[in-house]
Amino acid sequence: MSSAVEVMRRLRFSRELVLLGVLIALVIVMSLLSPLFFTLGNLLNTSRYFVEVGLMALGMTLIIITGGIDLSVGSNLALVSVAVGFTFAAGLPLPVAILFGLMVGMAAGFFNSIFITFLELHPLVVTLGTFALFQGLAYGLTGARAVSDFPDWFAYFGQAYLLGAVPGQLIIFLVAVVVVWLILSRTSFGRYVYAIGNNEEAARFSGVPIRRVKVAIYTGTGLLVAIASVIYTSRVYTARGDVGLGLELDVISAVVLGGASIYGGSGTIGGTVLGIVIIAILRNGLLLAGVPSTWQLFILGVLLLVAVFLNEFFRKGEE
Amino acid sequence: MSEARARVAGTESGARFRRYLGRPETPALAFLVLLVVAFSVLSDKFLSVPNLESILTSVAVLGVIALAVNQVVLCGEIDISTGSMLGLCAVAGGAAAQSTGGFLLPLVAAVAVGALCGAINGTLVTLGRIPSIIVTLGMLYALRGVILLVTGGAWITGVPNESRVLGMGSLFGLSAPVIVLFGLFVVMEVVGRHSTWGRNVYAVGGNRRAARLAGLPTNRVRFFAFVLVGVFVGIASMIYMGRAGSVQTNTGTGLELQVVAAVVIGGTSISGGRGSSLAALTGAILIGVILNGLVLVGVPGIWQQAVLGALILLAVTTDVVRRRLVGDGV
Amino acid sequence: MTEPEEIRAGRAAATEAPPVFRLDGVTKRFGGVVAVEDVAFDLRPGEVHALVGENGAGKSTLMKIVDGLYGPDEGMLEVGGEAASFSSPRDAEASGIAMIPQELDLFPELTVAENLFVGRKRPRTGWGGLDWETMRGEARKRLDELGVGLDATSAVKRLSAAEQQIVAIARALVGEARAVIMDEPTSSLTERETRQLFGIIQDLTAEGVGVVYISHRLEEIFEISDRITVLRDGHHIKTAPASELDAEELVRLMVGRPLHELFTRSQSSPGETVLEVRGLTREGEFEDVDFALRSGEILGLAGLVGAGRTELAQSIFGIRHPDSGEIFVDGKEARIHAPQTAMERGIFYVPEERRSQGLILPFSIKNNITLSILDRISRLGFVSRSERGIADRFMRELSIRGAEVSAPVNRLSGGNQQKVVVAKSLAREPNVLLLDEPTRGVDVGAKSEIYRLMDDLAKEGKAILLISSELEEVLSMADRVLVMREGRISGEFSRGDATQENVMTAATGTAGREVSEDE
Repeated sequence: MSSAVEVMRRLRFSRELVLLGVLIALVIVMSLLSPLFFTLGNLLNTSRYFVEVGLMALGMTLIIITGGIDLSVGSNLALVSVAVGFTFAAGLPLPVAILFGLMVGMAAGFFNSIFITFLELHPLVVTLGTFALFQGLAYGLTGARAVSDFPDWFAYFGQAYLLGAVPGQLIIFLVAVVVVWLILSRTSFGRYVYAIGNNEEAARFSGVPIRRVKVAIYTGTGLLVAIASVIYTSRVYTARGDVGLGLELDVISAVVLGGASIYGGSGTIGGTVLGIVIIAILRNGLLLAGVPSTWQLFILGVLLLVAVFLNEFFRKGEE
Repeated sequence: MSEARARVAGTESGARFRRYLGRPETPALAFLVLLVVAFSVLSDKFLSVPNLESILTSVAVLGVIALAVNQVVLCGEIDISTGSMLGLCAVAGGAAAQSTGGFLLPLVAAVAVGALCGAINGTLVTLGRIPSIIVTLGMLYALRGVILLVTGGAWITGVPNESRVLGMGSLFGLSAPVIVLFGLFVVMEVVGRHSTWGRNVYAVGGNRRAARLAGLPTNRVRFFAFVLVGVFVGIASMIYMGRAGSVQTNTGTGLELQVVAAVVIGGTSISGGRGSSLAALTGAILIGVILNGLVLVGVPGIWQQAVLGALILLAVTTDVVRRRLVGDGV
Repeated sequence: MTEPEEIRAGRAAATEAPPVFRLDGVTKRFGGVVAVEDVAFDLRPGEVHALVGENGAGKSTLMKIVDGLYGPDEGMLEVGGEAASFSSPRDAEASGIAMIPQELDLFPELTVAENLFVGRKRPRTGWGGLDWETMRGEARKRLDELGVGLDATSAVKRLSAAEQQIVAIARALVGEARAVIMDEPTSSLTERETRQLFGIIQDLTAEGVGVVYISHRLEEIFEISDRITVLRDGHHIKTAPASELDAEELVRLMVGRPLHELFTRSQSSPGETVLEVRGLTREGEFEDVDFALRSGEILGLAGLVGAGRTELAQSIFGIRHPDSGEIFVDGKEARIHAPQTAMERGIFYVPEERRSQGLILPFSIKNNITLSILDRISRLGFVSRSERGIADRFMRELSIRGAEVSAPVNRLSGGNQQKVVVAKSLAREPNVLLLDEPTRGVDVGAKSEIYRLMDDLAKEGKAILLISSELEEVLSMADRVLVMREGRISGEFSRGDATQENVMTAATGTAGREVSEDE
């Protein structure tokens, strides 16, 4: 009996080891593709755009563990960006506009959760609807206009360096990783998330506050998306309505690559972080090598398919 | 025992009425009728034959694809790669039309490419055991990349008129797209009611485990549904190319959402096993009517996406509310 | 009502013909675990052959081999006298063997008629389309043969559980089955529906069809079956005509201990009323229910399946919401909207379905036990280290055996799993325990441990509501017995007054059937 447990533990380790191995291999390949890749400056800069995806992926991990999904994160990003930029352009002081943006992001996540918990609709179809709704609102309210004349200090979020060479967002991201990791693995809330993902009915019979947990994870993801959006807007220094397209692909890929089952019940923050890093390095390396963005999406699409396939392959091995 | 039979006799006629009320496409049809009435009141241009025909023509591409995606949803799966698929099929057909002209070759090229994409989707879902949402999400982006690879970013223009028959032609006063749409609708209705595969789709989507135990080839059933989507997308791409006369690299972007919306709004259940081709057709027409009506009433086009999203949410919400009221075991 | 004797006598003549199917020397292993070893079983045409044994005895594995879901590692299967080897249930069906699992495997959205034809060759019309007319007619014919009037065009989801089961049987008949295997067929049926099912089984056997009847309900087994086979721990213990066995001996063969030793009950001294229910009503489920539950007492809630007992208990626990009526806990009114509220008021419900409602199977035993008290053992949300100690304590106190506390709970046997569910409820330290069929599907050994636990809890002053469909269990354990029939309380008896007759009368509304064995 205990030898079986040992074998299982070894297999689980091997998935994370495989990911680490893939990461190292990727770093090597990318360094060969472009001499600019393996410099401290570049690596630290890479972390800039994985922070945005990473923050969203942290929230998405919890959602996927409960067996749900959120396709609206990219559109939510656009909506928050627009909320911040255009209220600022309309005269609101920037700090207040940022706060407003955070609230919009949370409200969007909360909106999702209402349909999913109170009406008990399938998250797939709800977030497909809000994917269109949020993007439509972001675009409809702003048309093709953009806001760019932010005060200098706004760039701090997305473009600053702390401690010399470390990008500011990285600190924010690391803090978020630690917080979410603690919540998922050490708190009762985290236990509830796994319980719901494995057997929601039994969780209900055990007194798990299912509705509250689900509302919290979708709203919390909305908040994380909003933070990511503020960082993103600061980095590109522009607020537009047609951004964030295709981001849900990166986010879901990162979570799935990290080992979470798309059916729910399993997944870890550590795995997700590895997944994010792999995707970020992939994107950065391809960019440096001059590969256009549509191609990057193509590779990501293929990567997602391979990742899920391998996941289920490993899972069958464990059974 | 006789009491049970008496109970049955008395309720058969009542039951039939209740059954029509309970059919999946009924709310959407009712809503469509309501909307048609409302818009004709709001704008006297609405209820004219040219306007109605133009609505139907404009939704033909959407409707044809929706009829096929409907089958995938009925199986309990989903396909959100159809927008990129349309682009790729149009490129294939367009390239054939540019080089050799004619009608048949471009159509065959488009359908073949579509069928291949559908087969890839189907294989990954059945043999790869990857959830269809992930497969088709990945393919959505992957195919977009392939389009770029194949075209190098260039548009396809100057498509000869003979290749544009499916988009521009007409027969007995009806435009070709409308004929193709209704023709395929009739085909799918027959397939859905009278073919083994068509009935198996309902079984597989309704209770996959029982279907497998009953000996149904669940993998083959689902695989074929994905290939069917590819074939219909191929046909639809020729309608598109016919109407537009050219193919851009972003052709079809965003279409997949409208297709899923059409299927879901029309009444087919996203969880599978319940729905019909009439539901898909009604949903597509409903979207066409709504978008057309909005334009006539003066709402700017940039709001279309938001309206679509709101409609999806409205449709699935009313379905759940209705099923709870009827007590349909929700 | 036909007497069991007559049925059996009538069918004794069928013993001469060759068996419908026969298993001999069958062994099946999963990994290192032996599920069945060297088992022999045969089914004669026209007989009802009961297959009994505790959970884990190998009954369902054996039948899954017959149904083509598994192949035997050793041994042989013979159908109609010829060797057979199935690679799927489809093969088994083609050879005339049909299985009706507990979940029925029907298609809820499809009509009754269509359900009979899924996966089979469907009749076609002249132009090649499906002949719905003929299919409906065939369905009606089959249903008539079974003596049931069902609308062949109605969707299966609209039928009751009993009607759906009849559809499943009709489906087996359309497949020209010569053997029908029924797994726990009466678990969701009312008494009347069980009668109806027995009538159908009699009709089937009269046609020469053999029926394998898998059940835990000993009374039914003695009523309906011709022969009984007992399995224990994967081994074939005995096969004998039903007339040669009685309940006590059957239990002894199943577990090795006689029946009467399992039931104990100390003297109870009930205290204050801790739970009171007045006029509780939920449309379609139960109506105007009043009762009081005192600390230190075990209140049995008897009745037939479908009487509304589970719905009542779940309404007290907050899983369902009553339309009207009041609940009082310790004398104060309680508005219970969710399980959390009920738990805060000191009530806990142990559900009927262990695997789907009681446990999170991939979770460890520890995490299952502490799931109900996470909020109590967390500081600022973080789960305290004391969790392990709490789980260990319950493992010891409830004698949970079979795996370590950190192992996934699905490693345990049914009885031990049930103890984990009970541990979870006890961790919450409730004053009121609502137990719904706590010993269902539990081996007889673990059953007695659960009875002892209930006895101890009552002695400690807990109030227990025991919902059970096993009359002996209720009569042995309860201090008072409430009976529900069709949603209403139809009888109340003290321990001294309750007998099988008056409880059955209250449960069915008519004079109960005779109990032939012990009295």
